[in-house]
Amino acid sequence: MRLCLPLIALLIGGEATAQSLRPYQIEADAITQSLTGKTGVAARGQAIIADRQRGLCLLCHTGAFPEPHMQGNVAPDLREVVGTLSAGQLRLRLVDIRRVNPDSPMPSFYRNDGLTRVGAPWRGKPILAADEIEDVLAYLLTLQERK
Amino acid sequence: MKRLCVVLALLSSGAVASDKRSGVEYVSPETRALQADDFANPGMLWVGGGEALWNEAVGQTKKSCASCHQDAKQTMKGVAARYPVFDEVRKRPIDLQGRINQCRVRRQKAAAFAFESEALLSLSAYIAHQSRGMPVTPPRDERLWSYIENGKELYFRRIGQIDINCASCHDARAGQRLSGNLIPEAHPTGYPIYRLEWQSAGSLQRRMRGCMTGVRAEPYAYGSPEMINLELYLMNRAAGLPIETPAVRP
Amino acid sequence: MAAPRIMVNVPKTAARGEIVEIKTLIAHKMETGHRMGLNGQRIPRDIINRFECTYNGALVFAADLFPAVSANPFIAFTTVAVASGTLKFRWVDDHGKVSTTSAKITVT
Repeated sequence: MRLCLPLIALLIGGEATAQSLRPYQIEADAITQSLTGKTGVAARGQAIIADRQRGLCLLCHTGAFPEPHMQGNVAPDLREVVGTLSAGQLRLRLVDIRRVNPDSPMPSFYRNDGLTRVGAPWRGKPILAADEIEDVLAYLLTLQERK
Repeated sequence: MKRLCVVLALLSSGAVASDKRSGVEYVSPETRALQADDFANPGMLWVGGGEALWNEAVGQTKKSCASCHQDAKQTMKGVAARYPVFDEVRKRPIDLQGRINQCRVRRQKAAAFAFESEALLSLSAYIAHQSRGMPVTPPRDERLWSYIENGKELYFRRIGQIDINCASCHDARAGQRLSGNLIPEAHPTGYPIYRLEWQSAGSLQRRMRGCMTGVRAEPYAYGSPEMINLELYLMNRAAGLPIETPAVRP
Repeated sequence: MAAPRIMVNVPKTAARGEIVEIKTLIAHKMETGHRMGLNGQRIPRDIINRFECTYNGALVFAADLFPAVSANPFIAFTTVAVASGTLKFRWVDDHGKVSTTSAKITVT
């Protein structure tokens, strides 16, 4: 894993563009605080992942979801990727994986700046909203408990 | 035996056509069989329609393609294998569809065909079909270099909300599954293709626009310089692979 | 394009009693009637619903088609080469539009 981050990077999300994002703080390779101040709901996160058009996860990852033949193998199984990462580490990887691995093909799910030629329906919006990030994170953490 | 051939091809040195694989190698045996049988390949409906158009007198001049170019089976052989080429009129590259429309407007004095129209796809398919089996052979024309370079830049430019480039999938992850579909190497050797998902024939530009929308980007317009430059880069990248028109893809 | 785009493949010659394969392909959108258009209106059904093949006037193959059949339907079937003559093909769609073509076979 590549860790070329400053010890504490202060990042204010949401530039002047469109819908502003909630600010978050990166410490080492983690965002320890919830984006919403609340804990997400795992069942909702599971539903987001199951909906390919919303979560997008299953385009590349496999996981315990229906229609396994429609899942990708570009990235490891979700049950593997959660590994022993902390909630904060997983949150940063959902929010902006490129801060951990600039070459990752995985999109930054909570970012709306620094992008090129975004199509009109998606312009200025992150892929997932802050509460959706927390819901997905809550689901991913249940995969660790099951191990 | 086939596997052995592939292994041998891989062993036999670097940057030749043998280390590239056409999209046909990434499709199911059923789809491959459909492409291989000219009487089952639905793309042949467009080839047949194109042959009729080739011989149809149109425009103010009342001339057909055949009036000047005679028998396409002779005169159009190899054309699709080298396009896009540098156009002396526009002083920039032109692709096969662009050339067909240029001929219609300038020579036949007829209206240009719309992009993705049945007529333009049919004539393109008929002309490209005459090069079937011939290796992609881009012209060695230094006037094209800067445009190929631009096409390459576009290929490697991250775009859209998903923020990835063409290479993210088609160079780095060919052979892996994206949502259950095998990612091919993006060699445009069979266009216009018959795509089962479309239930129709379609152009390379339509296919690229599909990918661009997929990464949630604003697709480049049909016929735009960006599209032509991307076509140019992809054909240079596919050099040596045989033309398959009309290819069948999922 | 004026002419309907049709392709049929019938062997030019066959031995008497031989089983021959016939392949047909016709361009048709085969609109299922289940899809919505951009305006949210249902796109009306428009499919080929009947295909027939006659061999010297006798019906040798027929099929009723339904919306699950994909666009540009490909139909292949076999028949026994009984005599030299003509095979006639006929497709009928929901608008009653009839498309036809024919092919000759020489039986020796």
